[in-house]
Amino acid sequence: MKKVLVFLFIILLVTVALSKVTITMWHAMSGSRLPAVEAIVNGFNATHPDIEVVAQFTGSYAETLTKAIAAYRAGDQPHIVQVYEVGLQTMLDSGAIVPVYELAGPDFDWGDVIGPILEYYSVNGKLYSMPFNSSTAILYYNKDIFEAAGLDPNKPPTTFNELYEYGKKIVESGAAPGGISFGWPAWVFEQMHAYHAQFYANNENGRAAKATEVYFNKDFGVDVMAEWMKWAQDKVLVYGGREYSANQAFLSGQVAMLIQSTSSVGSIESKANFNVGTTFLPRIEGYPRGNSVIGGATLWVMKGHSKEEYEAIWEFLQYVMKTEVTMQWHKSTGYFPATNSAVKALLDEGWFAQHPNHLTAFLQILSGTRVPEAQGVRLGNFVAIRDVVDSAIEEALQYNGTNYWKEAKKILDNAAEKANTILWEYTMIYGK
Amino acid sequence: MQRRFPNKILPYILVLPSIVVVIIFLIIPTIQSLYMSFFRVSPFGDRLFFVKLYNFTKLFKSADYIHSLLITLIFAAAVVVLGLTIGLLISVVLNQRLKGLNYYRTLFIWTYAISPAVAGTIWALMFDPSSGPIVYIINSLFGVKLNWMMNGNLALVIVIIAASWKMLGYNIIFFLAGLQTIPEELLEAASIDGASSARKFFKITLPLLSPTTFFLLIMNMLYAFFQVFGLIDIMTKGGPGNATEVLVYKLYRDGFINLDTGFASAQSVVLFVFVAILTALQFKYAERRVFYG
Repeated sequence: MKKVLVFLFIILLVTVALSKVTITMWHAMSGSRLPAVEAIVNGFNATHPDIEVVAQFTGSYAETLTKAIAAYRAGDQPHIVQVYEVGLQTMLDSGAIVPVYELAGPDFDWGDVIGPILEYYSVNGKLYSMPFNSSTAILYYNKDIFEAAGLDPNKPPTTFNELYEYGKKIVESGAAPGGISFGWPAWVFEQMHAYHAQFYANNENGRAAKATEVYFNKDFGVDVMAEWMKWAQDKVLVYGGREYSANQAFLSGQVAMLIQSTSSVGSIESKANFNVGTTFLPRIEGYPRGNSVIGGATLWVMKGHSKEEYEAIWEFLQYVMKTEVTMQWHKSTGYFPATNSAVKALLDEGWFAQHPNHLTAFLQILSGTRVPEAQGVRLGNFVAIRDVVDSAIEEALQYNGTNYWKEAKKILDNAAEKANTILWEYTMIYGK
Repeated sequence: MQRRFPNKILPYILVLPSIVVVIIFLIIPTIQSLYMSFFRVSPFGDRLFFVKLYNFTKLFKSADYIHSLLITLIFAAAVVVLGLTIGLLISVVLNQRLKGLNYYRTLFIWTYAISPAVAGTIWALMFDPSSGPIVYIINSLFGVKLNWMMNGNLALVIVIIAASWKMLGYNIIFFLAGLQTIPEELLEAASIDGASSARKFFKITLPLLSPTTFFLLIMNMLYAFFQVFGLIDIMTKGGPGNATEVLVYKLYRDGFINLDTGFASAQSVVLFVFVAILTALQFKYAERRVFYG
């Protein structure tokens, strides 16, 4: 009798385990972001006994996208994949995804998603991927170094000229060996365009129709680049690599300022042994006001799974958008809380009053103008184009002469030509 | 004369596994990349367009590709020369009868055992422009700031040093083995005849080592062309600009990051032909100087 009971019990366990729907999610969140993702997944699994979400770190954004594509081609794709913003057009054209608006029930309130994020990932007013870790670039600065250099730590630079002046003062006074460093330089360059209401590519940044020509070698882009080259030569700008390695230079006091994604707020605040200040991106005077643009990544649902699995996926995506979950995600990383209700809850709780640095990015995107130039760029194979621009920036910052503008123009023209070829090849595959 | 194998089928069965492996992992992919090099492919592989020789003409018209080719030649030559000379020098020292020799040997050889990724990380950390100990030491000794993130030539030099260092262990193992096969009597006889150490080294040791050296020459070349990808990915990602973008890294970048499969396939075909020619030339000319006892 006892044996039979044990046997039945085992059968029961096995069937329960088998009836679980397993959802795989591939993501690119490393470092301090990894435990934050795990917390969300564990929270979901604990409250949904019939669904098991398995989150897997699959390398950098670029690597994760490559792996997902390879897996899709092999017919073994994950259910959800986190793709960074430059993969947008590639994903839209892929034929390999299920848009999230198709998964949602009629009662899901899309209006709750923060405006700029919703706009960025929508086509004809419909959302194609689920907002998850959206960010924008802000200026971080080291208040202690500012003080040591005789600057007012509560008056960070607001313009390019001020930034250069402050940077020079910092370097000359010996308060720090360098003035400023960037994370994701090509992205900062894109940000500058949106922030000054300049198009980065034709056809309204590729949103009205597929882009066929980039605009970053026009006067504005050249102005920005020439300015950066001047900074680099005067040791005000220190190049800090293509992703997050500049954070290290900032944290170790090698540079006094840093332009980086707001997603680093959490880790910078917890690691810095100095007073961290944050503020809006610096502006070039004389250009109109645009807005900083959304970066980071979203969750894409891939084709080729069962109906039951799609229900489970939607269940999970809804969980991700829950107010408490979004709030927690924001608090532990610095990424935007993706919904208005989460922002309201954070305000009510007094979170922003205690953590003003978490508010900066938010105020920045809400205080800009909502012009088409700042809605975000959509380019075919943007990944390759960003790579071209990164190389161009690296080349420009090595320049030793004095004719900044001319050299910047030459380098950017060359880069634009490559980018236009990439766009042309892309339209060759997918049509205009 | 060797006698024929008694069983007629057995030898075929014995070589079958390796033939299967070669076909699956070598021949098929090679044919496939040759085939793909005539196409333009969408990232997700759902659209395929025949473009004739477009990928190849694009390749040879691209200033970046020519630059990459040049960088690769410099890189490979430097890695081979550095790796072989330093490897030989160290092995000659290690071939002496020193106290605690086994420890020294292990210490020199272990670099080969670590993965390229780990090697890359170690070098990247040591030379980190803002927090690297080597950068700090050089700065405090000579007042020079080594920021290779802002200096393409410097980046290339550092990558070359790291790549040679990584291969050093391998070279030492083979040189040591080669040195130990050199008959003592020859060297003793030369000593009795009054030959200096340098003379002994150049007239006896080096010629007798030539088979090993030739083997290492080929291996180091293949290494410099194909296996440095991990190191470069971790240390410089081909940058700054594209100062350290060797052919194999460019191929990876175009194929797996920029998702241009056809173009990357064309590159792999060119790389294959290029290395095949180089290897054939080495066999033809360098092998003449090799003395197989």
